[in-house]
Amino acid sequence: MPPSHQLAILSRRSFHSHRLVSSRPVPLAKYDVNSLRRVSSAAAAQPQYAQNVLAAGGKSALTPSPLSDEQKRFLDSALRVNQAGELAAVLIYSAQTPPIVRTHPHLLQLMKHMYDQEAGHYKTFNEILVKHRVRPTVMYPLWKAAATTLGWSTAVMGREAAMACTEAVETEIGDHYNSQIRVLLDWAADLEAKGEDFGPEMKELLATLRRIRDEELEHLDHAVMNDAKEAKPYELLTNVIRGGCRAAIWISERV
Amino acid sequence: MPPRLLRLSLHFLSARPAARLTRTTPHYPPRPIPTSTSSPRAYHAYDRPTPPPYPPTETAILTAALGRVPAHGFSKTALALGARDAGYLPVSTNLFPAGEMELVKFWCTKARLGLGGTVEKEGLPEGGVRGRVKELVRRRLRMNVEGGVVGRWGEAIALMAHPTYAPTALAELSRLADEILFLAGDASLDSAWYAKRAALAGVYAAAETFQTQDTSPGCVDTERFARERLGDVESLGKAFGDVGEWVEFTVHGVLNGLRSKGVRL
Repeated sequence: MPPSHQLAILSRRSFHSHRLVSSRPVPLAKYDVNSLRRVSSAAAAQPQYAQNVLAAGGKSALTPSPLSDEQKRFLDSALRVNQAGELAAVLIYSAQTPPIVRTHPHLLQLMKHMYDQEAGHYKTFNEILVKHRVRPTVMYPLWKAAATTLGWSTAVMGREAAMACTEAVETEIGDHYNSQIRVLLDWAADLEAKGEDFGPEMKELLATLRRIRDEELEHLDHAVMNDAKEAKPYELLTNVIRGGCRAAIWISERV
Repeated sequence: MPPRLLRLSLHFLSARPAARLTRTTPHYPPRPIPTSTSSPRAYHAYDRPTPPPYPPTETAILTAALGRVPAHGFSKTALALGARDAGYLPVSTNLFPAGEMELVKFWCTKARLGLGGTVEKEGLPEGGVRGRVKELVRRRLRMNVEGGVVGRWGEAIALMAHPTYAPTALAELSRLADEILFLAGDASLDSAWYAKRAALAGVYAAAETFQTQDTSPGCVDTERFARERLGDVESLGKAFGDVGEWVEFTVHGVLNGLRSKGVRL
């Protein structure tokens, strides 16, 4: 425990001596007196932090620094790719569903579940793009056509091919989200080292990306459980689709 | 290999590595860093401050120079007088390599960012994106009148049409269209995003050109002109969206019809 916290507890004990008998741990931030004291000791340790508190009139504990142009560009292209990717995912599943369900009616629930999740992701990213003024990709109509074609053709090739398609797409997408999460965590660590807060927006974005990444990887598991590996030209099919995904990501990052 | 081709390939070989060397730091995505002081249109954060478009000295000189525009136009004279008014030597205009074009750009930036201020102060009319876009365009055109630049705006348009400055001017125009549609609450996110911005930018540029010749009091003719042109754009944009919807509907209909006949699709 840092010495400042010990001090805070000691001083609280002198205020509320009856607490001494209680063996339960006392939540530190419960009392105003102590939480104020904690802020001031943190401020003494970090001059930047203290300056921020003073500049904000002691009300808000943080005055975050602006995002750099490089960070803005990263977020701009990353979010654009995410929205395009979720659009493609929605279209792939909606094109796969009719042929798959015709031959394997028991997969209706799974397809619907995956489609609903993707539709939710698409909606989330649409809202984020509008809110943060990120432009959509120029290739929008092309991705629409390509995703529908991919979904439909793999579904016509059979259940295994459709699942291999899901596996390939979700692998790429999972990697893609992971790399974004890594970058955001790096930023958070940098800010923490400077004594600044990551800010509610970035924290929320990080949480959203993690949630969506986990759901995408869940789709990957479903695909593997449904014999994705049994697809006939498995290597060829997944490699072609993964290459296509990477190319689409590369293009959408730029335009 | 013929000597000409050889020379050409040598040229490429010599030029390529140099171009690569300039990109040693990996940034993501690899785009050239903009030289302009105004930040590019990119991710807009709400809980982080946005730095002002110009540093304090430049802002002081350019603001003072704008006061000289009604008398001296968008010219180097206005810039030099502005520097003097702000308490700097006239040679400080060296801060602006683009010269008088920087003054034009400063006005455009100031007015564009001022739109958000008018929304905070006066609010926006209810009833859809269309009405709000019309109102914002009206306010922006009115700023040219109230800022006193309208009598000299012809000079600015001539500068912006210059091949050296046309890219800057177009970028600024697209930022204005983006600002207006954002403030109006437009939420389109497909090709319509681009179509709407292009159409709005076109109408706005036409209205500003009209404004330079407008002799009506307070430029009310220009406002009517802009309102009517925006009406045209609406019907165009709607037709654009309707065609897309019709195509999708028809394709779905045909597919479902075939499926109902037992075709394996």
